[in-house]
Amino acid sequence: MSSADNKRTVIVGIFTFLAIVILVAGIFMLAGQQKRLINTVTLTAIFDDVAGLRTGNNVWFSGVKIGTIKSINLYGDSQVEVVMNVEEKVQQFIRKNASARISSESFIGNKNIVIDGGTQAAAPIEDGDRITAISPLNTDDLMEKLQQNNENLVAITGDFKQLTSRLVKGEGTVGALLTDTTMAQNFRGVVANLQRTSESTVNASRSLSAFTNKLNSPDGLANQLVTDKEVFQQLKNSMTQLEEATASTSEITENLRTATTQLNNSNSAVGVLLNDQKFARQLQSTMQNLETGTEKLDQNMEALQNNFLLRGFFKRQAKEEAKQKEQQQNQPAPKQVQPKDTTQLEFKPSILIEN
Amino acid sequence: MDLDKNKPGAAPARRRYVTTRRLDRIFVELAKVYRFNARFFKEVWFPPYEFREIIKQCYEIGVRSLPLISLTGFIIGIVFTNQSRPSLADFGATSLLPALISVAIIRAIGPLVTALIAAGRVGSAIGAELGSMRVTEQIDAMEVSATNPFKFLVVTRVLASTLMIPALTMFTTLVSLLGGYLNVHQNELTSLSVFFYQVFDAITFLDIIASSVKSVIFGFTIGMVGCYKGYNSSKGTEGVGKAANSSVVTAMFLIFIEELLIMQVINTIRAF
Repeated sequence: MSSADNKRTVIVGIFTFLAIVILVAGIFMLAGQQKRLINTVTLTAIFDDVAGLRTGNNVWFSGVKIGTIKSINLYGDSQVEVVMNVEEKVQQFIRKNASARISSESFIGNKNIVIDGGTQAAAPIEDGDRITAISPLNTDDLMEKLQQNNENLVAITGDFKQLTSRLVKGEGTVGALLTDTTMAQNFRGVVANLQRTSESTVNASRSLSAFTNKLNSPDGLANQLVTDKEVFQQLKNSMTQLEEATASTSEITENLRTATTQLNNSNSAVGVLLNDQKFARQLQSTMQNLETGTEKLDQNMEALQNNFLLRGFFKRQAKEEAKQKEQQQNQPAPKQVQPKDTTQLEFKPSILIEN
Repeated sequence: MDLDKNKPGAAPARRRYVTTRRLDRIFVELAKVYRFNARFFKEVWFPPYEFREIIKQCYEIGVRSLPLISLTGFIIGIVFTNQSRPSLADFGATSLLPALISVAIIRAIGPLVTALIAAGRVGSAIGAELGSMRVTEQIDAMEVSATNPFKFLVVTRVLASTLMIPALTMFTTLVSLLGGYLNVHQNELTSLSVFFYQVFDAITFLDIIASSVKSVIFGFTIGMVGCYKGYNSSKGTEGVGKAANSSVVTAMFLIFIEELLIMQVINTIRAF
């Protein structure tokens, strides 16, 4: 082999070697990036919808890439089982109650799975564990909500535009307030009145506070009513007696009702007296006869007094009467009884009721 | 079998075509291509292996093409990145440029550009060289001297092309990515490690395998087309130029067809 051939062979060898180095380096970088050269554990999660997630997409934990999607299989009726390869060294940080959700690396980027690590109370995950899956946010729903928000925003800005336009033109109360000086002065007056009212309210509330303090004082009636058991017992007794009195009153009322019924009954004597018109006419006639008879008797008595046989009897009787009057006038007058001052009476409901 | 020639001295007989004259010629050409390829796969396994000639052709096809292909790849990396930026900037996604460059260069541009430039440089060289050897009857002389010209000329060149185009593709891909990095670093101030992280984050092993397989097929196509056109060139100096030109055009056409078919196959595999 000539030296030229030898040189050419070496150069071709170097060329080929470098090409192989580039290929191998690329393969190793890719394998390293896809976590194929490290020990991994397998996790699974069951999703209702994986939203375009693909085998080889990344698995993130706290913003760190910890693995890749190994496989995606349909599961059950319409669910999807996602199998993930996760670095063994992060196994201790992911707990059994961790959850997986589908996210996106950017707005238009690839889908990925984000694992939330769970709580410290739970044990670390083990190979083959199944973690809870959280359904992803549907982009269509998101866009629909955004569209609704946009429409609302347009409506709000439209209304606000009308509002500001009317304000600028001085329409409405607020517009007049902004543009009319008289209105502004009136408003200032209203505000001043409001201020005074609020001061009065403050004073009133202070007075009320003082009053309630007095009510709450241990010696006060209200406090005793609320706290003193003796007073409560007395009140209770009073109420009992009041109930008894009410019962008695009811009984009296019942008796009165019975009596009234009997009065209205024409079979009884009083009922006849009150209700029977015939009897009333007879009674009236009788009374007239009695009156006539009495007048005549009076005339007869006057005639008897003037009769000489009975004149002495009537004179003696007149003298005795005059003598008795004279004796009465000579006797001393009896003492007047002074009434008690009622204002000094203590408030004792039970006593009052008893009296 | 030559359809246009009649035997000398015989009365001109009317040729009967199976289909039409033109279609018959196409099918006959295809049969020739098939026989040429079959002969290659038959000869490649048996000695003598002509290692020295293979090394020489590897040097000519691979090493000699490296500067041209590397420079082209580097420029394409810069230009492609620069032209892609506005489209991503519209979405505020210029940070995705490394991923875009990675997918474009590793999956398609690297192997394709390498193959097209090699088709132009190597395919034409092989076609012209073998064509001139055919014209100057050197191939006939080799046959007379008990040397297998097919093994010495065709097998060695096709093997060298098949081996060197993938190697050149590796270089082109790396240099294109470096060109892309230069542009991204200049505009987005992205570091080399982040750039290559994003580059490899966007691709899979399937992409690397597909790219390698494609470049092997492209290399074989370039070598085989060049050798076929040169080996079967017609007599005369005109035939040499025709063989060189035809080698380039046919190789490029076949490369695009192969790219299309391979892409469909890879995407079908990717879907599983």
